[in-house]
Amino acid sequence: MAGIQDLKGLAKAEKYYTDYGSRAKELRAQGKKVIGYISALGPVEILTAAGVVPFRLKGNVEEAITKGDAYMETIVCPFVRNVFDSAVKGKFDFIDGMVLPHQCDSLDRTGDIWRDYLNLSYFHFLNVPHVSDEPSIEFMKEILKLFISTLEDFTGNKITVDSLRTAISLHNENRRLMRSLYDLRKSNPPLITGSEMMKVLVAVMGLPVYESIELIKEIVEEVKSRKPLIHGQRKRIMLIGDQIDSTIITDTIENAGAYLVMDDISIGSKMYWQDVDEDKEPILALAERYLRKLKIPTTFVDTGGTYEENLNARFGHMRKYTEEFKIDGAILFIYKYCDPYGFEVPAIKSYIEAVGVDVLYLEDEYSTSSLARMKTRIEAFLEMIA
Amino acid sequence: MNRYFAGVDIGSTMTKVVIFSGRIEATIIGPTGPEHRKLANKVMEEALNLAQIRFEDLSYIIATGYGRINVPFADRQITEITCHAKGLHSLLPTVKTIVDIGGQDSKGIKIKDGKVVSFVMNDKCAAGTGRFIEIMADSIGVPLEDMGRISLTAEKAAPISSTCTVFAEHEIVNKLASGESIPNLIAGIHESVATRVSAMVKKLTIEQDVAVTGGGAKNIGLVKALEKKLGCSVIVPPEPLITGALGAAVLAKEIFEKYEREGQMPVRSSCGLQEAKIFS
Amino acid sequence: MAEEKKGRALATKAAASIPKFVRGNLAATIKAKEEGKKVAYAYIADGQDEIMRAMDIVPAWGESFAGVCAAKRDAEKYLQKAESDNFSRSLCTYATCTIGFDMIRAELGVDLVPDAPWGGMGRPDMILGSAQLLCDPRFKWPQATQHYLRDVPIFVGAMYYPPFDPKFDHHEQEKFYVKYCTEELRECVKFCEKHTGKKMDWDRLAEIVELSDKTWDLFIDTYELRKAIPTPMDTGDAMNTMVPLTFNLGTQEAYDFYKQLYDELQEKIKNKEGVADPEKYRLIWAAGLPSWFALGDFQYFNSKGATFPVEVTYRGCEKIERLELPKTNDPLEHIAWRWVRYWTHWYDKARKRPGSLPKVERIIEYIEEYKCDGVVFHSAFSCRSWHAGIIHQAETLKKVYKKIPILILEGDIVDISSYNEADTHNRIDAFIEAVDAYKSRMG
Repeated sequence: MAGIQDLKGLAKAEKYYTDYGSRAKELRAQGKKVIGYISALGPVEILTAAGVVPFRLKGNVEEAITKGDAYMETIVCPFVRNVFDSAVKGKFDFIDGMVLPHQCDSLDRTGDIWRDYLNLSYFHFLNVPHVSDEPSIEFMKEILKLFISTLEDFTGNKITVDSLRTAISLHNENRRLMRSLYDLRKSNPPLITGSEMMKVLVAVMGLPVYESIELIKEIVEEVKSRKPLIHGQRKRIMLIGDQIDSTIITDTIENAGAYLVMDDISIGSKMYWQDVDEDKEPILALAERYLRKLKIPTTFVDTGGTYEENLNARFGHMRKYTEEFKIDGAILFIYKYCDPYGFEVPAIKSYIEAVGVDVLYLEDEYSTSSLARMKTRIEAFLEMIA
Repeated sequence: MNRYFAGVDIGSTMTKVVIFSGRIEATIIGPTGPEHRKLANKVMEEALNLAQIRFEDLSYIIATGYGRINVPFADRQITEITCHAKGLHSLLPTVKTIVDIGGQDSKGIKIKDGKVVSFVMNDKCAAGTGRFIEIMADSIGVPLEDMGRISLTAEKAAPISSTCTVFAEHEIVNKLASGESIPNLIAGIHESVATRVSAMVKKLTIEQDVAVTGGGAKNIGLVKALEKKLGCSVIVPPEPLITGALGAAVLAKEIFEKYEREGQMPVRSSCGLQEAKIFS
Repeated sequence: MAEEKKGRALATKAAASIPKFVRGNLAATIKAKEEGKKVAYAYIADGQDEIMRAMDIVPAWGESFAGVCAAKRDAEKYLQKAESDNFSRSLCTYATCTIGFDMIRAELGVDLVPDAPWGGMGRPDMILGSAQLLCDPRFKWPQATQHYLRDVPIFVGAMYYPPFDPKFDHHEQEKFYVKYCTEELRECVKFCEKHTGKKMDWDRLAEIVELSDKTWDLFIDTYELRKAIPTPMDTGDAMNTMVPLTFNLGTQEAYDFYKQLYDELQEKIKNKEGVADPEKYRLIWAAGLPSWFALGDFQYFNSKGATFPVEVTYRGCEKIERLELPKTNDPLEHIAWRWVRYWTHWYDKARKRPGSLPKVERIIEYIEEYKCDGVVFHSAFSCRSWHAGIIHQAETLKKVYKKIPILILEGDIVDISSYNEADTHNRIDAFIEAVDAYKSRMG
């Protein structure tokens, strides 16, 4: 790893993207504990408050699932299966434990499998509810307290109100900085490409929050002072989906002649929009942020009003993005076997099309095996909206 | 001075070239082998001969289809979706919905004034493509070119419930063994493909006129079954295989003329039509 | 010949009377309007049954209707309708079948959909969904339906239970889970009051809950009669006899049905009447929703001398005394305790046997009590909720118990295009041979 500390900004992000987990490994060797998590429901503030390195798990779209199939059915979410396969192949040997939030059936129904086959010294299933009414907020607080107690037992560190407040403040700053980087995508052309952005998003999700903060600061300075990279009229695209974490997709979009300028993906804007309220009691504030502010299809939202009001409550943020980032077309990239997103496709598609933005719906696996097929569709879509 | 343009459509089973000047000067259809580049050159040469022009007379060349990145002498690649729409529109301007059934994929395309407004594709599953009919024809020992005609003589199509090609084959073998008539089975096979294709196309709002293109369009049994499933009559253009290449050639002309109007030189490929080596 | 559905031979008269129940349930949703009652789309086993019954809300069970469509092999038109608006074919087919049905309802602008199997379902006045640990489609399917029926209000309640963790004593968490469930049920009542314009009659609710408790007990007492050798009733029938417990819980008809079944089974045991004659192998249906279009496969098993005296699927209850429920005067709290304790019933056993799982403990308990020689799982591709984790259950069973023969069948609940009869029968044949060898080895 000679030289990584000499790299700065985007070059550093590139290294952390290509060699995902390298920094977590280093920190572990220095005596820090690393706790892996999946999804945007990962309670990173609590992990930071406990003094561990929160490490968001990802798979490898270029690697075929082999060992994992012996334990986990093929009807499980392709992303979850791929990450599990990576874990079983030893790719995450440097983590001390895992917290698995109850995002969806694919995680909930495989919780036993993760626990029983990975033999981690720490495993906690965070039973996040799907509803966000008042009783659910109270319940979520209990769930978070339970998690805090097992984490305290494991790390030997007490998680105090103060340590939580500090962690919340740091993660909020992290989010604000990332949003300021996203702002640099608003120009035409954007100052940072979609693929560069993808590398940044992946790089920082494997770092402790204070290192993420420093890295994003460097990148913002670097990108701010750039001249626009590409010239000419190109369509501005927004990518919508859950965990999309490979530049292969972003490259495909941008090589077809478009700017990828915004996303609503779970390692992207879902992570970094909506801060935790620092004026409230920490556990309540966390419960509210993760249940009410975070926009994911696995949290049921209904205003009790009209259907239009419900659509705005569920997807209003996507329309806002199309305005703020001047979007010409959206790509809805959903994994096969995904009930939470799958059932929303007609509603999302028509909601975005209603504001004059064309939508391409792609159903795929978490894999590059069908890349040529995706390419043709993306290219045809861009030709269509040109 | 006559300007010439070319469209090269490298499909998974057939390679097509159209030379276009404002009207069609030549069309050639040849089988695609694994050596796309060599084939593209060969078919292009044949087309040029037929049109009695040289390669250098071509002002702009567009490649489309599955193998479009394997045409080094093409100036641009455009997807077959856009090219089919353009080609069909130039042949049949009243068409609003295109159903293309190829050997290994099928597509539905909505067009307005020759431009694509929405599209759907099935290129993952054999069940909605010509391949399904090919495999079943092989299974029951009937020549592929007779399948369509025989299906029309059926008393009643034998429904096949499996969409998985492997399972469907089993199902057909079982039905044969239980005494089901061959025409009924063949009608069932066509119905199966028509069902899958129409399920895909129904994701678009189907508006008439509806045209069917691709190899599937030459199968009268499939066309009739499709009409039944879609609930409307369809038009089959006189040469349903060349709409992609034609569209590519028409687009080549449009793009070139746009460059001209804007006073610019189009960016052209540096490759000429030389003998392509395999894997070059 | 090929397309005629083979007539299914049922072992019990009670099971043969079930289609009447199912038709009756569907008909009730259509008659509701003229009877001044509200119709609610509802989902099974989510703790909300008694609330609906107490408020005279007529439940319309999408899961039942989709099962009927599948059994009649008439689901494809609805699945394709859903597909036409970009619902993936890999999604829960109970949902896509019913959504397709509602898409047609909306498109035609009618209350009743023509040409629907057994008359179809009446138009809902509300949807009572459930975001519990049963499955995700239960709260996504309502939202997807609202896209087509935009005036239908949705309630989604959360009924959660503590997850299993061998290191945790779940009893410590029970209290706040029960509190949460109770409050969610209260929200359900509020929603129902708002949309029916009626107030909950709490005494009536308490009576209905008492009846459903008694029904749970009677169900188990009845099913435990199947321990007899030969077994008087097997899973082929149980996929029918589960209907009253699953769809009519809280009604006198449901209770009376199990009385009738109980008496019939008693009679059969007296006469030593078994499902298969001779009964050579006893199997457990250890997990998985069946292929509703291929229930005849149970008779195929029977033809080989194999019976299923016991199944886990649709045995969604336990004897109340075994659950050791704390006393409470609040019927909602009672439902909540019953809910949590049912789902955690096998946790203590699982913690005592290292490497085990609660679902596996349940399977072991039944294998021993019903004297089973083999285990069958069914993996339905569109249902993650019940079918992800089956491989793990099978492996764990082998690891912590014994090397009992296991068969994992693959298919789907509603989508027949995934099923191959010849292939399935071949696998059953091979499995029976393995069970036979196992029995000989065991002596």
